[in-house]
Amino acid sequence: MNIHPFITIRELEEKLAKKEITREEILEFYLRRFEAFDGEIKSALEVFDKESILQKSNSKSGTLFGIPGIIKDNICQQDRVTSCASKILENFVSTYDATAIARLKDAGALMIGRANCDEFAMGSSTETSAYQKTHNPWDLSRVPGGSSGGSIAAVAAGLVPWSLGSETGGSVNQPAALCGIVGLKPTYGLVSRYGLVAYGSSLDQIGIATRTVWDSARVLSVIAGKDDKDASMKQVEPKDYTKNLTGTLPKNLRIGVVTNALHAEGIDPEIVSAIEGAIAVFEKNGASIKHISLPSLDYAAATYFILSRAEAASNLARFDGVRYGLRNKKATTLGKMYAESRHDGFGEEVRMRILVGNYVLSAGHAGQFYNNAKKVQRLIRHEFMQAFADVDVLVMPVHPAPAFKFGAFADNKLQLDLQDYFTCAMNLAGITAMALPCGLSKENLPIGFQIVGPDLSEELLFQVGHAYQQETDWHKKTPKGY
Amino acid sequence: MITKEEVAKIARLSNIELSQSEIIHAQKHLEAVLQYAARVQDIAKDVDVAILKNSNIERDDEIIPCDPQTILAQAPEREGDFFVVPVIIENN
Repeated sequence: MNIHPFITIRELEEKLAKKEITREEILEFYLRRFEAFDGEIKSALEVFDKESILQKSNSKSGTLFGIPGIIKDNICQQDRVTSCASKILENFVSTYDATAIARLKDAGALMIGRANCDEFAMGSSTETSAYQKTHNPWDLSRVPGGSSGGSIAAVAAGLVPWSLGSETGGSVNQPAALCGIVGLKPTYGLVSRYGLVAYGSSLDQIGIATRTVWDSARVLSVIAGKDDKDASMKQVEPKDYTKNLTGTLPKNLRIGVVTNALHAEGIDPEIVSAIEGAIAVFEKNGASIKHISLPSLDYAAATYFILSRAEAASNLARFDGVRYGLRNKKATTLGKMYAESRHDGFGEEVRMRILVGNYVLSAGHAGQFYNNAKKVQRLIRHEFMQAFADVDVLVMPVHPAPAFKFGAFADNKLQLDLQDYFTCAMNLAGITAMALPCGLSKENLPIGFQIVGPDLSEELLFQVGHAYQQETDWHKKTPKGY
Repeated sequence: MITKEEVAKIARLSNIELSQSEIIHAQKHLEAVLQYAARVQDIAKDVDVAILKNSNIERDDEIIPCDPQTILAQAPEREGDFFVVPVIIENN
């Protein structure tokens, strides 16, 4: 078989075009990789059978024809279980495809399975899944990050060349950085949320994980663009994001380095050093660097805690054991059935977030928490917009330290929640961000950074990221043993 | 300082049954998170940024056929085309 384990989408397309390989052979290759390695990584909740995978996608042609990927288990795939890694949806079978899935199938992409995640996308380590913990392929005693840890780990170990995750506070870019691959959080409203199980509806976006920036642009070209079924979207047409990727940095690129983020308290010095190395690459290639401060960033996590939990409390109210999902059958009244089904079906993290959410919305507390958080959210977005008046993109950290060990924050939940510190601001502001690998720690763990752009600037992020990946080879580094 | 009674009240509002020990555990967790989240008050009062206007989209209200059986098939309990649930108010 002439496929190397960490082959990119672009390379696979070339092989398919030259008829060196068929889509059946590509699928067989990746199915065997899951068999060989996923027993210890545990990225997938389910890997589907070959026949149904092939049968469900366009068998003739398409932009992603024959390229398998894995889908986070909070994105609906018709006739497949969508459990959101929760017991409350253990046997729930989706009756429709999410728009992103329908477009991928139409483009010939192969949905290989469903990826593990934190329950209902609530977490930063994939430790809250009701089914299994996913392991970081770079060090199996460490987390891959979260909540899209399964999707990311699968790409990092070369089990698939792309995957879909979702971001509400950083759940694609943080794990992408911890696992040494490329993550993309699109502008809010660029990718349809129809079929993405809602966590924080004003924050959620489907995100993409790939080995390279070019591959990310390829996948976004398939799923992005307006959809009648999602009224919260930007009304933009789908387009080909790979068209203008020359590999050179745009002329006169102005980069803003967010210094209060880069020098935030508690950030690992190896991360600072690796990001400074990335900035030097941009400078060497003609970009001008400006130092920027975004003071409201220090309030982003607090704002995010309040708004995301408030929306989650409302969104998860629908899970009540009436029409689908887990039901506590011993309950003697309807009210008890709701309360006991939700107690039994939701894990502790999900229950806590619902409680926080309803607390910050409740009479006597909404003013102090929810209303104030909405104001601070506007301030955060405003500061980003002011920064983008002076620079084209921002550069800042994604994570405060390399991947941590399982249970590291078991006694300090607040610290675990603060893993979202560098990423939640972009979700609050609705803007786009891309995580890229830029180094390895002395313990051989990936270090990433992020490029952040204003609304609908994905094409620019791809140009900058793709140019960076022509000058560096961090994206070619791979974990041992796979 | 959030009391056990407040936690119990929020749990009722959330329609989630919690045991006494779970309430105590939740109390500690809520306390830590809310204490951190309260910092939004510090800068909120000075915020002078206008609220963004949202715009809606419209589409024709077309009836698309949808087979109810695929949904009913997942009912925890059903009778014909109805979902069955426990009694709403208990007789004493």
